[in-house]
Amino acid sequence: MYLDVRDLTKTYGTFTALDRVSAGVDEGEFVCLLGPSGCGKTTLLRVIAGLIEADSGQILLKGADISGMPTRQRGFGIVFQSYSLFPDMTVAQNVGYGLKIRGAARDRIRKRVGELLDMIRLPHLADRYPGQLSGGQQQRVALARSIAVDPQLLLLDEPLSALDAKVRAELRREIHSLQRELRIPTIMVTHDQEEALAVSDRIICMNRGHLVQAGTAEELYLRPQTRFVADFMGRSNLLGIEALARVAPGLAAARPRDGADLACIRPEQIGLSPDPDGPARVRELEFLGNITRIGLDTPAGNMVAEVSGHSPVRPGDRLSLSISSEHCAWVREDAAAGAQ
Amino acid sequence: MTARPSTAPVPGRKGLFDANRLFVAACVGIPALGLLLFFVQPVAIVFLRSITEPDGSYGLGNYHRILEGARFWRVTGQSLVMTLITTAISVGAGFVIALALYRGHFRGKWFVRGAILLPLLAPSLMQSLGLIFLLGRNGIVSRILGTEIEIYGLWGLVIANTLYALPQAVMIIGAALVLLDARVYEAADVMGARPFRQFRDLTLPAAKYGILSAIFVVFTITITDFGNAAVIGGNYTVLATEIYRQVVGRQNFNLGAVVGIMLLLPTVLAYFIERQASRKSRGQKAAGILPYVPKYSPLRDIPLAAFSFVVSGFVVLVMAVVVYASFVTLWPYDLSLSLKNYAIDIAGGYDSLWITIWISLWAAAVGTVFVFALGVGLRHAPAWIAQPLQVLAAMPAAVPGLVLGLAYIMAFNSLSNPFNFLYGTATLIIAVNFYHYHTQAFLTLQTGFRQFPETLEEAGASLGANLGRLSRDVVLPFMAPMLVSVLLFLFMRSMVTISAVVFLSTPSVSVASFQILRLEDSGRTSQAAAFSTALMGVVILALLLLTLLNRVIASHHRAG
Repeated sequence: MYLDVRDLTKTYGTFTALDRVSAGVDEGEFVCLLGPSGCGKTTLLRVIAGLIEADSGQILLKGADISGMPTRQRGFGIVFQSYSLFPDMTVAQNVGYGLKIRGAARDRIRKRVGELLDMIRLPHLADRYPGQLSGGQQQRVALARSIAVDPQLLLLDEPLSALDAKVRAELRREIHSLQRELRIPTIMVTHDQEEALAVSDRIICMNRGHLVQAGTAEELYLRPQTRFVADFMGRSNLLGIEALARVAPGLAAARPRDGADLACIRPEQIGLSPDPDGPARVRELEFLGNITRIGLDTPAGNMVAEVSGHSPVRPGDRLSLSISSEHCAWVREDAAAGAQ
Repeated sequence: MTARPSTAPVPGRKGLFDANRLFVAACVGIPALGLLLFFVQPVAIVFLRSITEPDGSYGLGNYHRILEGARFWRVTGQSLVMTLITTAISVGAGFVIALALYRGHFRGKWFVRGAILLPLLAPSLMQSLGLIFLLGRNGIVSRILGTEIEIYGLWGLVIANTLYALPQAVMIIGAALVLLDARVYEAADVMGARPFRQFRDLTLPAAKYGILSAIFVVFTITITDFGNAAVIGGNYTVLATEIYRQVVGRQNFNLGAVVGIMLLLPTVLAYFIERQASRKSRGQKAAGILPYVPKYSPLRDIPLAAFSFVVSGFVVLVMAVVVYASFVTLWPYDLSLSLKNYAIDIAGGYDSLWITIWISLWAAAVGTVFVFALGVGLRHAPAWIAQPLQVLAAMPAAVPGLVLGLAYIMAFNSLSNPFNFLYGTATLIIAVNFYHYHTQAFLTLQTGFRQFPETLEEAGASLGANLGRLSRDVVLPFMAPMLVSVLLFLFMRSMVTISAVVFLSTPSVSVASFQILRLEDSGRTSQAAAFSTALMGVVILALLLLTLLNRVIASHHRAG
């Protein structure tokens, strides 16, 4: 691993923010730390940045232990949710500050700042102050400032959360393509699973100070290992073994022997066909534009299915359901996670 | 994983001599030493002195002897009577004027606001001088009426101190009223509450802590005021003048120590009650408040406006008459204008004015640097250092200037003190001015630091900047407007303060307000007026310059 985090633990009084968390980032990789608020993802990022010190554990960068190194010597770039541009410096001065600290010549700073402002497409704002910029513009400047010094690692702490929906999507694409182009190993903290799915090579899903599951976006979405991950990565039907037997007896038989006893079926993976004698009945429809969400009464209880576009069924219609075994993931309860 | 061949970070632990640690240690250490040397030490020495028996052992003998004296009780009684009357009038009138300013609707509020700022620009004896020119034996009023009003004594003191304290009461109560959002009144309107009910249920509770706080502040500044007591007190001796007489005149340090400690009690009590109160009312945030804009209502506004104009008119009149009298050839017989009074004819002349300007500049500059450094350091110091220091830095406000001056003379006059060499120097006066107003300066900057986002420092650290560099490049510009305010505040206070420095003035290092006292004392009232006017001119000039500077700073950055 390029960055290797081993057994990090951080407690605040009786609250355990990080509980023996191990994770890593590969060369050129974009990793998302995903989880609900209070799960420890931001704490982990801040420990990696050197902004807080862990109680125990190690951080290795290219094999060298940097656990005790002050932030300013680590050479990482950080972007915060709150933009955090220096209010009394112009855009150009902000972007060039890291180089100035390193004692770079004035010409070199000017040239580099020019390149970066071109890259974020804001060259015309070089002499403005941050207070005169929109949120999206400020965050792009913050991004440029953090990559100006060729950071060994880029840390993004919920960089999009303060922006409105449209700007957020736009900047998300920009961050993604910039990272693809520059190949800077990047860790982004987010609580938005869609954001994580869209940009990451790998997602590290956290809950209550624990690392719950790490993997590619597909793995986390299609093969969640715990109820928490299944829930957090979008909608799912989670059925116990008996309930599952009532709607898909064939699937229940295929249950693995590793203690995972909840079937996770994504709503769009449920095949629906009109059938007057079918076991399911349409309870309600929710038209969301590109998809329609269908609430079902089934022998297994309430379930939810999704079809693209307009619904082929009406409330009250009876249906039969088909779920293929490859679309059924087996997950376990994660009560154990918090208990220890 | 192939390692990138470029710059490998140097592995290492935070060493003891890490640059940031040294910086934080210096930022915290030097101001902390200052507090220990110039605040804790003198106050501790007064305390020890008050419980030291003639044979060197500790005991309450001094208290016994002083509490047995009839004179002490008479003086204390007189002080309390004068202070309580002044407090009642000042806070009552202050509340009405604050209501007028923040809950009334009438034209000319600028005049009231301006009048309220005036007393801050001059030493507290200015009110007494004005009263003497108006109501004294040779005052205008006495001349016109042909009778002699006895202005020296209790009532002169009450009027002078009320005029001096009133603005502070207005400001404190006004600040509490501002916090009450307009939407609260709108909601009450919608619910059908009539104006009087709104006043009783909304305004009064909001002003409650402001009034409480104003009572304590006015009580403290009045009972410890020296300037007015010396000029207009006459035979009505109060604690402040008594202490001065006993300590400076008769070297009766024991009495000074005991009375100093006893004067500390009400103010310390007041200080803690006030802190408690402000903690309770801290739920209200100053940000995002929709100011209450009252509609015109003659029954309420005409009396409020009339009262405000009469009172603030009197405040202005009393100060203006001093300025006017300073230009008059021979008050009140020859009212032709001249500059004769500006030729100061006692020893020292204007020297003390220049000395005071220098002292004030130094106090302002050093003080601002110290509280800024302390603020920067405290953000990064471990909690076991930061928390006690926060409390200590906010404590000097509980010690009245009179007691602090007393403490300085006892601490630094003693030959056994290794810092005895400071006694009689301007440095000591600089110190007493700064530490007297340390709390207000410190708290003003703390408010600023609280608005400073921590992530700015973190972003800077990630770019490789150390704390020293960040403090200069990022924190300093951010704090600039507040630093200018603190600079101005310390300068203005140092220029006009009397009670602390009166103990430390010597023939070679005499401050302006002390020189004014001497002029008045030797019967040169018009020259005292001239000197006061000159002093006020300097303060107003500084006020204008620094306000302009702050405008420039504000317009330069963050515009739009």
